Amino acid sequence: MARTLAMFTDTSLCIGCRACQVACKQWNELGMEVPEWTGTYQNHAHFTDQTYRLVRFVEEPKPTGDLAWLLMSDVCKHCAEAGCLEACPTGAIYRTEFGTVNINPDVCNGCRYCVASCPFGVVAFNESTGTAKKCTFCNDRIHNGLGPACAKACPTDSIQFGFRDDLVTKAQKRVETLKGMGFKDAQLYGADSKGFLGGLNAFFLLLARPSTYNLPDSPKLPQRNVVVDSLFSIGSALVVGLGALLAFRERGKGAGDA
Amino acid sequence: MLKSPEWELMIVWYFFLGGIAGGAYFTAAIADSFGGPRDRAVARVGYLLSLPLTAICGILLVVDLGVPLRFLNMLGKFSFWNPMSIGAWGIGVFGLFTLVSSVLSFSSSARRVVLRQRIGLVGSIFGFFLASYTGVLLGGTAQPFWGDARLMGALFLVSGASTGMAAISLILFLTGGAAGEGFGKVKKADRYSMIFELVILAIFLALLGSAARPLVAGQFAPLFWGGLVGLGLVIPLVLDFVGRRAKVLPAVAAVLVLIGGFVLRYVVLMSVQA
Amino acid sequence: MTTNLIDMQNSDVIMVTSNMAENHPVGFQWVMKAKERGATIIHVDPRFTRTSAAADMHVPLRSGTNIVFFGGLIKYAIDHNLYFKDYVVHYTNASFLIDPGFKTPTELSGVFTGLDDAKRSYDRATWKYQLDAEGNPKRDLTLKDPRSVFQLLRRHYSRYTVEMVERVCGIPRAKFEEVAKTFCGASGPEKTGSITYALNLTQHTNGVQNIRALCMLQILLGNIGRPGGGVVALRGHANVQGATDLMVLYHNLPGYMNWPLRDAHPDLKTYNEKETPKGGYWVNKPKFLVSLLKAWFGDAGTKENDFGYDWLPKRASGDAYSHQHMFVDMYNGVIKGFLADGQNPAVGGPNAKLARAAMQRLDWLVVVDIFLTETAEVWKAPGTNPKDVKTEVFFIPAAPAAEKDGSLTNTMRLIQWHERAVKPPGDVQTDAQFVCTLAHRLQKLYAGSKQARDKGFLAANFTYGPEPDHPDMLLVLKEVNGFATQDLADKDGKPMYRKGQAISTFAHLRDDGSTASGCWIYTGVVNETPDGKIVNKAAGRKPADAADPLAHGWAFAWPANRRIIYNRAAADLAGKPWSEKKKLIWWDPEAPGAAPDKKGKWVGLDVPDFNPFLAPDAKNGDKPFIMRTDLVGAFFGPLADGPFPEHYEPIESPVRNLLSKRQNNPVAKIWKVPDGKNELAPVGSPDYPYVITTYRLTEHHLSGVMSRYLPMLAELHYAHFTEISHELARELGIANGDMVTVSSPRGKIHVKAMVTNRLKPFIVDGKTVHQIGVPWHWGFNGVPGLPGSKGDITNDLSATVGDPTVFIQETKAFVCNVKKGVV
Repeated sequence: MARTLAMFTDTSLCIGCRACQVACKQWNELGMEVPEWTGTYQNHAHFTDQTYRLVRFVEEPKPTGDLAWLLMSDVCKHCAEAGCLEACPTGAIYRTEFGTVNINPDVCNGCRYCVASCPFGVVAFNESTGTAKKCTFCNDRIHNGLGPACAKACPTDSIQFGFRDDLVTKAQKRVETLKGMGFKDAQLYGADSKGFLGGLNAFFLLLARPSTYNLPDSPKLPQRNVVVDSLFSIGSALVVGLGALLAFRERGKGAGDA
Repeated sequence: MLKSPEWELMIVWYFFLGGIAGGAYFTAAIADSFGGPRDRAVARVGYLLSLPLTAICGILLVVDLGVPLRFLNMLGKFSFWNPMSIGAWGIGVFGLFTLVSSVLSFSSSARRVVLRQRIGLVGSIFGFFLASYTGVLLGGTAQPFWGDARLMGALFLVSGASTGMAAISLILFLTGGAAGEGFGKVKKADRYSMIFELVILAIFLALLGSAARPLVAGQFAPLFWGGLVGLGLVIPLVLDFVGRRAKVLPAVAAVLVLIGGFVLRYVVLMSVQA
Repeated sequence: MTTNLIDMQNSDVIMVTSNMAENHPVGFQWVMKAKERGATIIHVDPRFTRTSAAADMHVPLRSGTNIVFFGGLIKYAIDHNLYFKDYVVHYTNASFLIDPGFKTPTELSGVFTGLDDAKRSYDRATWKYQLDAEGNPKRDLTLKDPRSVFQLLRRHYSRYTVEMVERVCGIPRAKFEEVAKTFCGASGPEKTGSITYALNLTQHTNGVQNIRALCMLQILLGNIGRPGGGVVALRGHANVQGATDLMVLYHNLPGYMNWPLRDAHPDLKTYNEKETPKGGYWVNKPKFLVSLLKAWFGDAGTKENDFGYDWLPKRASGDAYSHQHMFVDMYNGVIKGFLADGQNPAVGGPNAKLARAAMQRLDWLVVVDIFLTETAEVWKAPGTNPKDVKTEVFFIPAAPAAEKDGSLTNTMRLIQWHERAVKPPGDVQTDAQFVCTLAHRLQKLYAGSKQARDKGFLAANFTYGPEPDHPDMLLVLKEVNGFATQDLADKDGKPMYRKGQAISTFAHLRDDGSTASGCWIYTGVVNETPDGKIVNKAAGRKPADAADPLAHGWAFAWPANRRIIYNRAAADLAGKPWSEKKKLIWWDPEAPGAAPDKKGKWVGLDVPDFNPFLAPDAKNGDKPFIMRTDLVGAFFGPLADGPFPEHYEPIESPVRNLLSKRQNNPVAKIWKVPDGKNELAPVGSPDYPYVITTYRLTEHHLSGVMSRYLPMLAELHYAHFTEISHELARELGIANGDMVTVSSPRGKIHVKAMVTNRLKPFIVDGKTVHQIGVPWHWGFNGVPGLPGSKGDITNDLSATVGDPTVFIQETKAFVCNVKKGVV
């Protein structure tokens, strides 16, 4: 197993230029999509089957009367514990030797369980291929000694690519620097491998609480309840079976009479 | 900000028919093993009903896929704690049971009967599975109220029971078998199931709390309260008690239960994806 | 820009007055790096943009009030003694004394001495220095003399108080004082600040004076020529710098020499006499001009025929052929034919309705472009019946940059070479191919001509390499660089160049026809070894490192690979850096000198923008501004509309000028166009009560030709929109997403309203003035599957008015009305 790769998106350096969004589309040969009106510069409102890197624009009026415009390049988180991967029944979704999560388009049969199981709403269904789509972490590029197209295109190095442990160290220093500069809400999201989902291989530095960016504050692996739910179902089955038994049983006669 | 898997009418029908198939089968198996000779009709109807319904379920699942021709890829993996994965296996295995049990249900030889009874009891495990696993599947997603619903599997199972039993009783009524003792017993079992279903539903909603909003408030509320709770459970129970002598009313009740079962899956699926 | 983008990381404070993050995103990384090092980033812009999001401070100011803002800062710096005294006294003309007849607008109700209102021009007789007996300007180094430039400056800006800034610009007093303290405080030996600008300052009838005000602030604070300082002029296109360097300007020859005038410059001798100043590096202008003529006319240009000077077409005196002049002439039938090469005036120029109407009156129109633009299809613009248009239109498909070898010169004067990535498809031609093919065919057509005026064109060379119509661009670059037309030796007879060899510095250009150079400022971009190996410096790609933080091995910056110009100013009178922290070049008295027996040289982190062997204590060894005649930075700088910038309101404005009784720039150019095609709103017109500014987005490019046809760019914005404040939206009953009609006296457009917190109304002299913003990228062509890639043309709203020096349009500040719905 090679060293885990990661993308660290430092939103304090993002200028919202969308070079990442376009580079991703271009490299992956994703198709044109008619945009929707979001009322802001953002397009699209959320990830689609043809948009894997998406720049979010969040206006945050402050009590002082000033304005903050939070700019964030969002992407598939390539979770260490991935809801999509756990959900996939065909094995189409797999983890590469670099720790990234990829969907094999030749195996996927389009059941959409992964679409329902991503806590971030990343995976999307492509109507024309009938398969699920998401950021591949530029799988072809990382297997040829290159980094993802979005990281390459970013002019301010807001998106950084490298080995996860190196990037986490860098990110931790960066948060302290920003706090020192007065950004008291600066925080890492998904850097901690002991934190939620085992840590994200595409993790972020945010300048406000995750919910400000419409990210879940503490996402959980959706499959964590399968055992409990199954036990409840078994219990229900026992009760129902008992009820049917009571209704059908013959008193005074042996069971199984012909 | 989550994405809908677009599991719509085809999947609603699948959940509904799968529940009936599973419920009808295990009812048949219990009638077969623990009931009397006059309950044979119940068993036969139950087994025979579950076969075509299971086949239809299989077809619905395959057609709903984005790439139906790759449905066999589902069998490329066997992840025990993945409802979608074992679901694919499970429905296949259950289908085999319904076929064998249906064939055997025409037999009266004692040895065949015993075999059938044993097979039926084993197959019931798969029947219970088919009726309930889709609820566990929903509970394992990230969706806003599905993912919070710990009793979804339990609810689907008891609904599978109530609709399966209602279906059997309706068929008996329509084929003139309503006069038999089996009809009364299956109706009794159905009543037990419906009462238990109301109990489970109440606990289900209580555990969900405000997460249940899409179901109990908003645009799907009339369907939920009126269609499922009212028409699908309370009224049939009343009709059943009132019309114990007149067979028509229990038959009407059975129809209502079936409608209620469809409405349950419909509102559960559509209220999150509308 | 006077500095370079990489150097911006060395600024202690950066005042971004343009929308740099959105329009120069790659360059903006250096502003971010400055921020990492602790710089304060101030963004001055009527709108809160993506630049504001990255800045420490956003300062909204009403469009069109830049001179009040800069004047206020100049006054603040003077009043609070924050200016860099030594720098100002020795490196600028602050100490020079001015003719006693000269008066400023403070004394003359808003105008300078010598205004002829009827002619709309100034007689500048009094705008000059007092001279001593030797003819040198008189100076007062204490800066106290009331006729000193410094005291005149102080008197001129005495009206530009903090209160005035609040009343006119709409910047609350406390905020302005914070900006002033922060920016002006970052001056002196230990600190420097840089200021960026782009079209935000240029596209006004005060455009040139806006920039002058910025430059004056920078020399007041001692920021020019020093690390982390400078005037960061951000050009608006990847190669517009290259274009203007190589005379895509009606009034210039390559290298920014004036194009000859028919009456004023009848021959080469007269041109040289009138155009060559007595001081400064331009004393060498004759060498540059003759070398240029040799490049163009080759051996046909000789000493006997003034190297072909007579073959140059001359401008008729007093006429100007700016973009706006051209379209008014076109509309009036003076211009019959038009070649639009990579230009889309149907959308991109001011008063676009007039431009389209003008082009529809042409006899012929040739459009060379990469897509069928609105100009190429001007005959089917909305509202036009093609049957009414008699123009014959030719479309020549052209290759974009990636399909051509060549260089691009970016905003930091950096000439970067690139190889083509793919061949152009089918018949598509590169621009060079098109020009050379056309020229060769015309030369064939004119071959038999006996007319004197055709001799030059027939002699001109358009062949570079073995294929006449397919020029080898490296050979073109070598000619632009310059080469020896014969074997050359120095004054001691030592051989310098063999015939045909590339020249390595413009210092070696001569006025006797022995050198050729297509653009003197580019000399040095190509070197050639004695055995003929060409070294293309523009192709160098050595990144910056600790030894060379300014990356002299990465491409080539004109002039002479100097990365920060006027860098002599980074050292004091004795040649020592003003501070260790801000060292750039310095005088090393022990270094080997110009000759074996001499010692002393300027050394450091950049190529000196100075004679490298001129000692600081020698004559003019303390004068950094080598391109100016008097070798010092100019506070007093006579231009068409004044030697000091003075605030006038934009030609269309909702409010009266509070600085003086003069509403507008008295010499601004306002065209009269028939058929009501250039109506202007009177001051405070109730029909057009809102200020409108037009601007660009990151995702689109200029008139949209390079973005609206590309799905992955065009889909980034839903459709054409206008940004409106919540306050104005509430007044007009407009919700976010409603269609609205924006109108001006020239036209109207229908766009989607984006209601946002990022625009707020201004309080101007106690009254609310609303301002809206509209990007101008949209036109009636686009991507078939993306309806939002097409839209109304914003420039239908702007007017044909211009700055008096360069005639640039006033698209950054005029007036409009907004109504809900499509009306």
